[in-house]
Amino acid sequence: MTPLLLLDGISKSFSGVPVLREVSLTASRSEVLGIAGENGAGKSTLMNILGGVIAPDAGNMVLEDRVYLPRDPSEASARGVAFVHQELNLFPNLSIAENLFLTDFPRRRVLGLPLIDRRSAAQAARRLLDAVELPLSPDTPVERLSQGERQLVEVAKALDRDARIVIFDEPTTSLAARESARLFAIIERLQARGAAVIYISHALADVRRLSSRILILRDGEAAATGPAEEFTEERMISCMVGRAIGQLYPARRPLPPDSQPLLEARGLAHPGILENAGFTLHSGEVLGIAGLMGSGRSELARILFGLDPCERGQILLSGLPIQHLSSRERIRLGLAFLTENRRDDGLLMPASVLANLALVDPRSSRLEPVAARVGVRCANLDRQPVRQLSGGNQQKVALGKWLVSQPRVFLLDEPTRGIDVGARAEIYRIVAALAAAGVGILMISSEIEELTGMCDRILVMRRGEISASIARPDFDREQILRVAL
Amino acid sequence: MLAGCGNRTAGTAAPTIGVAFETLQTEYWVASRDAIATELKKRNLSMLEAIADGDANRQFEQVRNFITRRVDGIIVVPKDAQTVVPMIREANRAGIPIVLFNRPPAKSDARSVTVVADNFSIARDTVAYLAEEALKTPGKRQAAILIGDLGDINAIARRDGFEQALKPHADRIEIVSRIPTEWNQEKALAGITNAFQAHPGIDLIFVSSDLLLPSVVSALKSRSRYFKAGEPGHVVLGGFDGDATAYRMLTEGYLDATGVQDVGFDTAATVQAVIDLKAGKPVPETVLDPGFVIHQGNLRQAAPRMWGAGIRK
Amino acid sequence: MRGLLTSRYLVAALAAACFLVFAPLIPGIATAGNLSNLLWNMLPLAVVTIGETFVLITGGIDLSVTAIIALCSVTGALVMNGRNGYLAGSAAAAPAAIFAMLLAGVLLGLVNGFAVTRLGMPPFIVTLTTMMFFGGFAVWLTRSANIDALPPAFNRLSGVGTLAVAVVVALAADWTLRRGIFGRWLYATGMNPRASLVAGVPVHAVTIAAYTVSGLLAGAASVLYTARLETGSPVLGQRIFLDVIAAAVIGGTSLFGGRGTVAGTLAGVLFVALLDNSLNLLGLSFFLVLTVKGAVILAAALLDSAARRVLGEAVE
Repeated sequence: MTPLLLLDGISKSFSGVPVLREVSLTASRSEVLGIAGENGAGKSTLMNILGGVIAPDAGNMVLEDRVYLPRDPSEASARGVAFVHQELNLFPNLSIAENLFLTDFPRRRVLGLPLIDRRSAAQAARRLLDAVELPLSPDTPVERLSQGERQLVEVAKALDRDARIVIFDEPTTSLAARESARLFAIIERLQARGAAVIYISHALADVRRLSSRILILRDGEAAATGPAEEFTEERMISCMVGRAIGQLYPARRPLPPDSQPLLEARGLAHPGILENAGFTLHSGEVLGIAGLMGSGRSELARILFGLDPCERGQILLSGLPIQHLSSRERIRLGLAFLTENRRDDGLLMPASVLANLALVDPRSSRLEPVAARVGVRCANLDRQPVRQLSGGNQQKVALGKWLVSQPRVFLLDEPTRGIDVGARAEIYRIVAALAAAGVGILMISSEIEELTGMCDRILVMRRGEISASIARPDFDREQILRVAL
Repeated sequence: MLAGCGNRTAGTAAPTIGVAFETLQTEYWVASRDAIATELKKRNLSMLEAIADGDANRQFEQVRNFITRRVDGIIVVPKDAQTVVPMIREANRAGIPIVLFNRPPAKSDARSVTVVADNFSIARDTVAYLAEEALKTPGKRQAAILIGDLGDINAIARRDGFEQALKPHADRIEIVSRIPTEWNQEKALAGITNAFQAHPGIDLIFVSSDLLLPSVVSALKSRSRYFKAGEPGHVVLGGFDGDATAYRMLTEGYLDATGVQDVGFDTAATVQAVIDLKAGKPVPETVLDPGFVIHQGNLRQAAPRMWGAGIRK
Repeated sequence: MRGLLTSRYLVAALAAACFLVFAPLIPGIATAGNLSNLLWNMLPLAVVTIGETFVLITGGIDLSVTAIIALCSVTGALVMNGRNGYLAGSAAAAPAAIFAMLLAGVLLGLVNGFAVTRLGMPPFIVTLTTMMFFGGFAVWLTRSANIDALPPAFNRLSGVGTLAVAVVVALAADWTLRRGIFGRWLYATGMNPRASLVAGVPVHAVTIAAYTVSGLLAGAASVLYTARLETGSPVLGQRIFLDVIAAAVIGGTSLFGGRGTVAGTLAGVLFVALLDNSLNLLGLSFFLVLTVKGAVILAAALLDSAARRVLGEAVE
């Protein structure tokens, strides 16, 4: 059977720098092609070429036995190529239905004037939402949706186009486990319908699970390709990185029994957000927090840090009550908080690496050593804006600024979201080193593997409550998921 | 466009006069500026122009620029009486004659000449004519005045002239409304409308400047009291300045009289003062323009001297 | 060429280029007298623009600076004028009045700062409203009249005194922005207030301080303008706001926050003052002056922003 899509020898350079070097791939009907690669490997460029955003410098593309060279995204769309982007293209101030049909509303004529046919738009939207199992009204404004729900709307948008090829770019970064499961079911349905699916992700286990075939990109080249069975995660990683990376998660010694309690939460409650949440974090401990989106994990972190108020309950730092202190005072006592979204509230994008590292403790002279310690790779520490760095390097800077003042308790919210495997390994190394030095770490994550790989204990949150506390010997992925649900 | 700078070529002996206006926002200023330009040309003097757009600081910088360029004389329409004083002082220090047009400076030790209309007398004469007309009808009259900006010495003088003219007729003419307008047309409209509410019987109105006439006309029309002289119900109406609106209303018969600042006289006197000062001749501190009243009775004869009559609308 | 475009000195270079272009067209421009005028014209504008720069760096804007200048002018004049001032005739009149003017500037700035941080409304709206309040209050205080008869000691400030004030302000502001922690906090707040808050920057206090500095420097500029005109005026400085913003923006201060330097602002002030001065001296018709000024300022701002975007230089 001829493949649905064929790319042959695609090359692209920007300002003389080659970004893709003669990449070839095929995608067949009812098949999932998984693509993995580090940031900078060329995945985005390749997808942009497929999607009609940019044109290749050399090479051919053939779709459904016809030459495929889209001049712009709408042409790509017209040929049946649908994209679900990592950076969502939704308008938060409009409703779901309006977003779905933004470029082609169903119309009716009244007195000769074309008006939007809201009823059929709502019906059509309803149908699409059912297909992705999103039980919301089509009139819901998108700004009220969670990240996961928004992604599902994007998928619905792609389904609407009756696509031949659906490309998913990092779709699960913002989805919790249940939503991911939904997404996988949708992908299976797309396969059954005869579409070809291209699935790009850092979540290597997911890529292995879903794909029929896998392509690994490294430095703009196709480093390896073949049936999914031929790839273990380790092989995928070593192809991506070009060397054996060994353990992703650093080895850790178990916590000594006489470890002092460092941060204690007792009976924290705030209407609608937390319900009697309590735990104890010990010095040198890595305590994970698992749970679905909306279970209150990030809210708990913000309350612990002092950014949001909490109606009832106590927070004790080495026995000292701190629930009435401002976040500034808590920072001075040794708390640190790496937020979920580095772009929104973790970094000053136009500023340099050094300027960002100096944000928490401007008087420090340890900026450059810290930059070296976290392993930031950039052209110029002092003059290059952080905006230009890769996601992994950005996250290192966001984390590094807290290290300057040597915190005692570190709250990490999704510390490796959207960053490539090499940077992830480095961040895990840093976290392990901090724990070994006696820092208490609270790690919130939606990736169970990450939690089981790094933590001494895992708390599971559900609807604002801590519903379980599981010690390392009892780690079990399925069980954790079950409790979270 | 570059005519201003073209005049000053190297080695030319033609003396240059710096002309600094506060604003060109009304017809009166535009007409004055044009008249000054014409007069200077007639006298073989070249002109450098600067408009301050209502900002005293800018005017200060502009006058100082003139001084730096060693002009032979300065004519200035001050933004206000006080801020012009340091400017006069600088001109004095540089030995450059300075003449103020239309607005006198605040009292100080700085030396200057001011050419200004005799606001008091002209207003008084205008209102006297209005009173005469009003008294032709038997019975009592109610009068209103729209005053200009209370910080403007000219406005105060005109108000005083109005009061003075009506004093002898206090038994038959009652001043029921004194409306401050800050020379603003919207404020004038609001003020006269309120006045009519309180005193519907107003039948004599004096505006301190013709630029306020449209506001009064609007108010009269909305109360159906806009009639020509001689028609029953005519409200006796008078103004000050002599602009194109006033001229039109006079010829149509709606306006009874207006006091005219004789722009021709003013500009000639100003330029003459500059020349005389430069030559070292003594010039009085204030040169008064007697102006004149133009009314229904002398319309044809006086019109040629009225600067607003010459403006095509 | 690339180096010149990125250089901090781009605007100063543009100003110099402007000067060279105009010099042959305008005989008087290069004389010591005119250059001296230019300098004196620049100084008060520089003081108030530096204050505005602080606010712009935080991502806000202070529309009320001109009204603050007016209200401070009137306040000082009420204290020290020889006719009916509170301290008329006393030797302490001038210093007390100056103190009152600066204090008024600080208080008005605090009002702005608290309104912006507590009310959560866009700074544009808040300072537009305070501009009307402060301006209206100044007019009401004096019933539209000017106040003259200021003590000669005060009026004498318009000479070397002005230069001294401007130099002190520029040096202090530059040191604060480049070396002080407050400076770092200002830039951080402007670039990303949320990230700054998380990192422990006292964002609200920093914002209030920025508006207070703007008010204080507007008060200082008011001292200089009032001394120059020897008059306390409730409408002082009404028209300079566009010059202030133009100078700041041309000098590299971004209206979106996070960017701006004292050196850049001074270059921008120089440029605007030079442009004004040149167009004045050219004797062009009034309307042409406005058009040319607007066009040149727009071009300079576009050039500066394009240069920075293309080169992706790190800020601050």
